[in-house]
Amino acid sequence: MNFTESLKMATKTLSANKLRSSLTMLGIIIGNASVIAMIGIGEGAQKYVNGQLQSLGPNVLFIVPGNREARQLGDLEVPRTLVVADANAIATQVPSVAAVAAEKTTQGIVTYRSRNSNTTIVGTTAGFLTVRSFEVAQGRFLTDLDQRSNSLVAVIGSTLAERLFDTESPLGQQIRIKGITFQIVGLLEKKGSNLGLDYDDAVMVPITTLASRIVGRTSPYGVDVGFISVSANSQAAMETAEFQITNLLRLRHRITDSDDFYIQSQDALLDIANTVTSALTLMLAAIASISLFVGGIGIMNIMLVSVRERTQEIGLRKAIGATQRDILSQFLIEAVILSAIGGLVGTAIGVSGIFLIAAVSPFEGGVSMIAIFTAVGVSGSIGLFFGVVPARQAAKLDPIVALRSA
Amino acid sequence: MPPLIQFRKVSKLYGSGNTEVRALWNVDMTIDQGEYCAIMGPSGSGKSTAMNMVGCLDQPTSGEYLFDGQDVARLHEDELALIRNRKIGFVFQQFHLLAHLSALENVEQPMMYAGVSSRERRERAAEALEQVGLSNRINNRPNQLSGGQQQRVAIARAIVNRPLLILADEPTGALDTQTTQDVINIFSALNRSGITVVMVTHEPDVARLTRRVVWFRDGEVLNANLAPNDLASVTAAVSIA
Repeated sequence: MNFTESLKMATKTLSANKLRSSLTMLGIIIGNASVIAMIGIGEGAQKYVNGQLQSLGPNVLFIVPGNREARQLGDLEVPRTLVVADANAIATQVPSVAAVAAEKTTQGIVTYRSRNSNTTIVGTTAGFLTVRSFEVAQGRFLTDLDQRSNSLVAVIGSTLAERLFDTESPLGQQIRIKGITFQIVGLLEKKGSNLGLDYDDAVMVPITTLASRIVGRTSPYGVDVGFISVSANSQAAMETAEFQITNLLRLRHRITDSDDFYIQSQDALLDIANTVTSALTLMLAAIASISLFVGGIGIMNIMLVSVRERTQEIGLRKAIGATQRDILSQFLIEAVILSAIGGLVGTAIGVSGIFLIAAVSPFEGGVSMIAIFTAVGVSGSIGLFFGVVPARQAAKLDPIVALRSA
Repeated sequence: MPPLIQFRKVSKLYGSGNTEVRALWNVDMTIDQGEYCAIMGPSGSGKSTAMNMVGCLDQPTSGEYLFDGQDVARLHEDELALIRNRKIGFVFQQFHLLAHLSALENVEQPMMYAGVSSRERRERAAEALEQVGLSNRINNRPNQLSGGQQQRVAIARAIVNRPLLILADEPTGALDTQTTQDVINIFSALNRSGITVVMVTHEPDVARLTRRVVWFRDGEVLNANLAPNDLASVTAAVSIA
């Protein structure tokens, strides 16, 4: 019997029992929908994280205190091995670096008249604007002079400004940060949150002021920082900059064995992020595959029942001339049709799920054609795989026994 | 012309040792082309086993079975399937129609395994249904047909591949007297057109309408050439025995 005939025959049999056929498909539908949706969400998350990292600026290096291995092993204690003097030294002594910013953050209450807000307080240096590619909307940013004189001045992010000042201009206003009065000298342009840090909802003060007046802790070597970010002269200068900074800091810290800082480039961060999100995607897909697998077992189950129920039909077909191969392919085709249609419907649901998630979350809808082809292919093969056992059982039936069965 | 069916010392054994059952033992039997005969015998006599053997659904444990000059005992399953498809038409007591298909589609089934194109299938199936007097029922499902009509669909299915042999297993066992007569008339007409008809039955009234009776008992042929009119004496003798 040729293939189109078998296909017609199988559709006829399957549509004779619509409820059962659709219930059997349900397992594959759910499995496939979840695989597609999970991979889509994973890819969306990856794109999102990549976008965030890229918006850090292309030539940025981050210098983070502490030993890399120790930090990666989960040492929660943040070491205080980097100080503002290190940042200044990099700025003056490393020729491949265009700008340097040191940052130290804390959390605290900021008050304007009767309004207050618990927000992020960022102590930083004049280089911040250049390195992190921010723009000043009104007024000015912090200067080196503010730095040296521990000035009580602040630059405010746009979200925080709206919350505290509503429509009023924040410039020249007095705010209290943890009880200390600061004068607002500038307002930052809106930029959006970045890697979970939202500078729009923050207030920036000179890092020296933050250290001496708000946090009140300094390392024995000076004002310690959370991290230093530098922008290299060009993309090509990144490696040179990394090398020169490492040498300079090793000299300054008199390091003989392992470093007490480490340098991370945006590329390295991208690599790490990609590794993490890929692993996440893989894990989600693996979990979703379990339901696809269960769906496959569902098909096998129903096909086994179906072989039982249709014993007489199989016996008759053999009597009128069906070969083992005819019977085998009949049942295999039925199983593959169930799983392939289930796969297609599941894919449609999965794709709409991705668009739904894209609509309500910052993740972009990442529908990959590869994922779709793979999922439909895989669910088809699942039908084939789980269809084999029942189909072989049917093909092996002895026609005499099959015909006699009640 | 060689005989259509020839059993030479055919035995069929089940089990072994103490539990060995001789379903058929050294059976010699010949049925020529164009014959119209009934296979009879009490239950357990081996007539069903013989029937399955004749229909190439089963193979002998020992001995030779020549069907249309071909030794069936040594054929592969797929070759048996081919013979069943092209040369034998089956009619069963329980009709064995596929419930989700119309009469026409049911009759088309054997031709699907013969690789006949769909147009020719439809034409030939309609012809076969006309031959059994069901032209006006071709689109009905089995559950919309009476028992007699269902059996006639089954006969149409049996003849649609133009077989040499119609093999009927208790074809009237589930029918009333009137429809039994209709069905037997169809068999007689088919036989007159040249097709060999072999049926297993336990109804003497049905067997009497054939031209020869083969009587089985205890796995052996007790009487291979009984005239249907002598049936009464044999049945009487058997029931006394």
